[in-house]
Order: sequence, then C-alpha cells, then structure tokens
Amino acid sequence: MKNIFNLLMVVVLWWPGIGHSAAQKYTQLETGAGSWEIYSAGVTFSLTQILPDQVKAFYVNRGFTLEQIRDFERSCVYMTVLRNDNAPGTIHFISNDWLVQVNGKRQPLVPVSEWLERFESAGISKAALVAFRWAQFPPEQSYEPGGDWNQGMLSMGLPPGSIFDVTARWDIDGKGFETTLKGIRCDR
Amino acid sequence: MIGKMIGIRLVVLVVFCHPLIPVSAQGLPPLTHSLTPVKNTAAPELELQNMDEEVVDIRALEGKVVVVNFWATWCPPCRREMGSLERLYQATKEQNVEVLAVNIGEDLDTVFSFLGIVEPSPTFKMLFDPDGASMSRWNVKGLPTTFILNKKGELAYRAVGGREFDHAEIIKAVVDLSR
Repeated sequence: MKNIFNLLMVVVLWWPGIGHSAAQKYTQLETGAGSWEIYSAGVTFSLTQILPDQVKAFYVNRGFTLEQIRDFERSCVYMTVLRNDNAPGTIHFISNDWLVQVNGKRQPLVPVSEWLERFESAGISKAALVAFRWAQFPPEQSYEPGGDWNQGMLSMGLPPGSIFDVTARWDIDGKGFETTLKGIRCDR
Repeated sequence: MIGKMIGIRLVVLVVFCHPLIPVSAQGLPPLTHSLTPVKNTAAPELELQNMDEEVVDIRALEGKVVVVNFWATWCPPCRREMGSLERLYQATKEQNVEVLAVNIGEDLDTVFSFLGIVEPSPTFKMLFDPDGASMSRWNVKGLPTTFILNKKGELAYRAVGGREFDHAEIIKAVVDLSR
C-alpha cells in the first residue's frame, strides 16, 4: 500500500482567488516531478517539471555532451502543454510574451533562439540541434478549437529551487487573454 | 563515467519509453480527433527518402488522398498516435489513401527500433527529413502536425497535436475525400 502510495501520489489543490473560470490543479507524478494545470477561457495550460537528470538523459541520447547541456538542464525545464479545448476562436500566442514572476520580479522566458545560438557557437552537431529545436515548446503557434495542442519543453531560465508563477498569454482575433499558474516549484 | 551514462540511459527508458507507466501518470493530455478544414491550396513540395533510400515525391501521389504526418520518436504524442495512424491506413488503403510519416532529424536505426514496438506495426511509408527543412515549407511549428490532402494534391485538413486517427470521424473525413 505504501509502495503504491509512493509510486503514484496524486494531490489535488483548488486554489482560491484565481478567478471563477480557472482552478489550478497540482499532481505529483511517480517520477517525483510536480505537474500544474489550469483551465481558463476554453484553454488548458499545464507545466510538468522535467527533472535535471531527465533533461540530461534526453539530450545526451541525442548527441549533446554532459557539459554542453549543463546550463539548459539547470534552468528549470518544464514539459509545457497548451490546448485549445473550446475557446471561442483560433488562439494565437508568442511565447516570448509570456512572463515568469519570481520574488516579485517579472521576466520573459528564455527564447529558444537564444539557446540555439549558444549551442551553435559551442559546435554542437546539426542533428542534435534539430532534436533540441523541435523538442521545445513552439515559440509561436495557432490552435483551432476542438483540441489543437502542442507539448514541448520550456526553459524558465531560473536556478533549481526556485518557486515562481508563469503567465501564458494568447489572443483571439487581437483580443488578449491570459492565465497564470502560481507557486510552480523547480526541484533539483 | 560509463556507469553514469548507463544510468542516464535507464532514466530515458523509464521516463520516455516504459510501456507500464500509465499515460495519465506521465501527465499527458488526451488525444483528440478534430480536423480543421483548410483552404484548398496546393500542397507544398515534399520529396524525401524512404526506409529503402528510395525517393518519394508527393506529386506522384496525385489522384490519391494523402495523409502527411510530421513526427519524431522523442515526441510523446507522436508515439501515442502512431498505432492509430496505422489503423487509419488499414481502414482506408483500399480506397485510394496513402499515409506518409515524415520523421524529423533522426536516423534509420532510431526509427526502426521505435517502429518495432508500435502496435500495430506501421506498414505505411516512412520518410526521412534529416534537417527538418520540410517543416518550414509546410509551416509546421510543432510536432506532431498532420495534413490531409485531397485527390488533387490540395491541402484539405490540418491537425496540430496528437490525434486518435482511427476515430470514426477522422476515418469518415478521409473516406469522403477519396470519393
């Protein structure tokens, strides 16, 4: 019983004060990683931490050396999902518009292009760069209602141990929407 | 060092590949079955090698309905939908339907190893795009993305993200295009 509990402990917390259309859900996965999800205005937004060893494993298997992937691995990486379940139209986003808030300070996400520039200057193989680029959450994308979605990695650019909020922003025909996942934990 | 590398590879196996980890436990969202109709414009160029190193040109498939799926083995929803893509192919191949799965950035060995664990094992054409150049031509911004072309070689539907391709609504959409 204890093993089962340790393997799959699911805790659901309903956070007050986030807004009537959005309630944040937290799940602890059997890997030990945390997963946070919110549904707002017809859109699901979720973050699941990819622990540093998992990030390292993924990229070493795709041609990176331990040294080459170290900075990325330690930048708080999350498997990110955005899905247009039933928003009232096509949603469009640019992830550079999203914000990370930590200790009262707001900052943008680290752009995929910035990581790619670092890796290119480090002489990483083209095949490894292709894998890196397409494993990231899209920097810009549009989703139709009814279930268009993507899943990809997103670096928060924070040191392990950080606790932070992430605000995802999108628009429908120019009208802006946003939702915030609060109290995201970045485990070591 | 060797021990550490073996440990890393084990983590990959457990986290990304282990069949006994329930999908829900990996925090993965459900696959959907919607298709977005798109304006009937000519499909972009697609000319790539298959697993036998023969060049497949999509223009040669005009007259058939063609499902074009962009994917990679490291993409969790791509892995999850691959079996349903084969079931779609099995349900429609007698009705002038082709499925092309375009792998992004991986080699034959990697793809071959993955296909061995897909159930049912894919029998449709696998194409290889080693540098991902076709992604920009087809305006693909994330994996998986799938297009369905009508018999004139025009884009008819698009699906961004993982799908249950053997869902009755998708099979019907493909069959209707083939008539």
